[in-house]
Amino acid sequence: MLSYAYAVLSRWLPYPLNLIGALIALLVASLAIVAVIPIIIGWVDRKYGARIQSRWGPTYVGPFGLLQNVADLIKLLGKRVITTNVDILSYTFVPIALTAAAFLMILIIPWGGPNLSIVNIPYNLLFIYVAMAVSPLLILLAGWSENNKYAIIGGFRGATQIATYELALIVTILSVTILSGSYNINDIVAGQSSVWYVVYLPLAFILFITAGYAVVERDPFDIPEATQELLAGWKVEYSGLRYGLFLLSDYVKIFMLSMLVVYLFLGGWNGPLLPAFVWFWIKTIVTMMILLTPRWVYPRVRIDQLVKFGWNWMLPLAIINLLAVGMVVFV
Amino acid sequence: MPSKVVDALKDSFKDNVTVLSDNGVEDVIVLSDKKLLKEAAKLIKKIHDIVFLITVVDRNPTFEIGYVFSNYVDKSILNLRVNIMQDDLSIDSITSVFPSADWEEREAYDMFGIKFNGHPSLKRILLPEDWPGHPLRKDFKVTDDVRNWTGLDLKF
Amino acid sequence: MEKQKGVILNIGPVHPATHGVLKLIADLEGDTIDNIKVEIGFLHRGKEKMAEMRYFSNYYPIVDKLDYVSALQMEILFASVVEKAAGIEIPPRAVYIRTIMAEIQRIMSHLVFVGSFGMDVGNYTGFIWAFREREELMTVVEAISGGRLAPMYICNGGTFYDLPENFSYMLSPVLDRIEKKVKNEYATLFQKNNVFIMRSKSVGIIDKQLVKQLGITGPNMRAAGIERDIRRIDPYLAYEEMEFEVPTEEDGDAYSRFLIRIREIIESIKIIRQAMKKLPAGSYKKPVPWLLKIPAKYTLVRHEVSKGEMAMHMVTDGGMMPYRLKIRSPTFFSLKALEKVLVGSRIADIVAVIASIDPVMGEVDR
Repeated sequence: MLSYAYAVLSRWLPYPLNLIGALIALLVASLAIVAVIPIIIGWVDRKYGARIQSRWGPTYVGPFGLLQNVADLIKLLGKRVITTNVDILSYTFVPIALTAAAFLMILIIPWGGPNLSIVNIPYNLLFIYVAMAVSPLLILLAGWSENNKYAIIGGFRGATQIATYELALIVTILSVTILSGSYNINDIVAGQSSVWYVVYLPLAFILFITAGYAVVERDPFDIPEATQELLAGWKVEYSGLRYGLFLLSDYVKIFMLSMLVVYLFLGGWNGPLLPAFVWFWIKTIVTMMILLTPRWVYPRVRIDQLVKFGWNWMLPLAIINLLAVGMVVFV
Repeated sequence: MPSKVVDALKDSFKDNVTVLSDNGVEDVIVLSDKKLLKEAAKLIKKIHDIVFLITVVDRNPTFEIGYVFSNYVDKSILNLRVNIMQDDLSIDSITSVFPSADWEEREAYDMFGIKFNGHPSLKRILLPEDWPGHPLRKDFKVTDDVRNWTGLDLKF
Repeated sequence: MEKQKGVILNIGPVHPATHGVLKLIADLEGDTIDNIKVEIGFLHRGKEKMAEMRYFSNYYPIVDKLDYVSALQMEILFASVVEKAAGIEIPPRAVYIRTIMAEIQRIMSHLVFVGSFGMDVGNYTGFIWAFREREELMTVVEAISGGRLAPMYICNGGTFYDLPENFSYMLSPVLDRIEKKVKNEYATLFQKNNVFIMRSKSVGIIDKQLVKQLGITGPNMRAAGIERDIRRIDPYLAYEEMEFEVPTEEDGDAYSRFLIRIREIIESIKIIRQAMKKLPAGSYKKPVPWLLKIPAKYTLVRHEVSKGEMAMHMVTDGGMMPYRLKIRSPTFFSLKALEKVLVGSRIADIVAVIASIDPVMGEVDR
């Protein structure tokens, strides 16, 4: 997309201006996506959860309550930040860094077609993984900077949990990359044109979803936040815009997770009859709805149970899976 | 079964035990000497498992401390009453015999200022630590101390 | 808290999982609890003192707010004390109406428990579902009494109003629905849910010995395997003529305490159905003067309310007000168990165990 905008702008503008123009266009596009994702997914999440709980969910703001999250965001913008004794530098840095990571993922992930990403880079899967993996450090930093016991407990929990599960996640991703021979999502999808990888790697599929769930801190695994125990865990002192940024990056992460599931295991945009773009979005939306469900069904597991499960089952299974794939591919 | 306890109490304490049955539906055993309470509690423990409640009645200058014992087997309860005088508001704690009396004794201390000797941590339980006075006493007056109490002096 | 080893964490009094204003002071070593202290009294409103300043008929609104999720049972308990002390026989219809109301209230209280327990282990759906069912019963209670949370329905000598004529048409479908939901939907959401079982099984074990040591009563006691129910061993109201089981569980952990409540909801539904069938005609209230004078005596009445054995010990002196009213709160005894069972467990277990004991601080602090 960057190169496309660059090429289009080069027709009319001289050298530095066309690059700047292309970058601005790119920024606007990614901002639009960043702004739209939480609104849409937030609405879907709230409405879907509400129907499971036999409530109506948001109804007043906008048609079907679609704009409820916009209203919430505006409310968050208007909030005063009340903090005492925080380390203001790291306190401010964490939401910005998390949002930057979310931006990065949005920039490099393909949006439902070959090379249909804002910036095309060869190793985009690896970059997306890195953008996801940066969060334990940030969570620990946030928990420390807030000068609050609940926050630091949440921070430690978050770091433990994500460090545990990211290992399983990367090992699972490795098995996919071994099978496809590439870190590029375009190649991985192209490799699934006949058979989806979920058929070859059912175990990896399950492991990926579970580990991904733990990494994005979605609700049965939202132990670092744990509203009932730790109030909001490492987010406890945040309010206003900074808190809004957390919400935003959360929604981006769950969305990225469902997109990655589709890309890595469910054949990406491959499918008969319908155009590739439509196929991709159908798959993503269905996956996302399925991924949104456990929050409303399962209670939160305990941190020791989760970590034990991670080291005792997830990682060994992921490694066995990796070895099996390696043996099949190379031998 | 409750009569067994009553008999046992009568045997052990002879004249110090009187049984009143006219002023309520259940019989009340009155222990005249408060020093005997712990002995009596040990006897009662053989039948009754828990202190069901401890109620203090302020009949100035006497304070009636009523113990109601209960068990987990049947519906029987045992009323035991000890009278203490206002100038010496202290009585033996029965927490060592009946651990369930712990918070009830603290509450009685909180509300009436009765000292339970031998209680492991006799602190106020419902009211703040620096509350002036013992509010369930009949002579409790809402003084300026109470009116101006803010709770801000309390150290956490 | 003599020797501080780790981090002191104040949980409460303002905390979403403490059901009001319970305060716990936990001494943490990492995520594990070394030592824990319970502090209560943040909702103390001096109800026992208030009783000494009010006529017997005027204390009902205050007694409503004792255990505010089962207010009708509190009213019935106080009415029973006053009537026993004054020697008032209430007509049989009033007895049955009171039985029905007490059981409706028990179901409502247990539904609040189910919901808040679900919520505290992190399942928000359980909370909403339980309150959805409770809302229907609320509507019935509102139609009967005019009030919802604090109905003010019971008065000395019976009830304020008779049951409405379409009462059984209103209540029966609600009971059917609750029974269906509890047996199917809740079973799916809780009893068949692996994560829920993982979180609540063998957590916060209050065994028989601890129960007997601390004087715990009610569902928490029955979860430890002691079969005892005041409704059964010392029947009051119309419970003598009702057939019902006293459910018990063996383990004494949070999960059994949950199961006990679920099973008691079913038993309460049974009792209400029987009582509705046997509901006698006649007067719903014995005319009693508004200002009663009760001779000097001691009166003790025990009832099995939703939280356990609640009792009121009233001392009268021949006047128009109680001389002393002592309220025995069941949760006041149960809460002390937290100090024993939580040592060595995790932070996440704190909320699960608190919720499984089902404290309502209005009744603990009085």
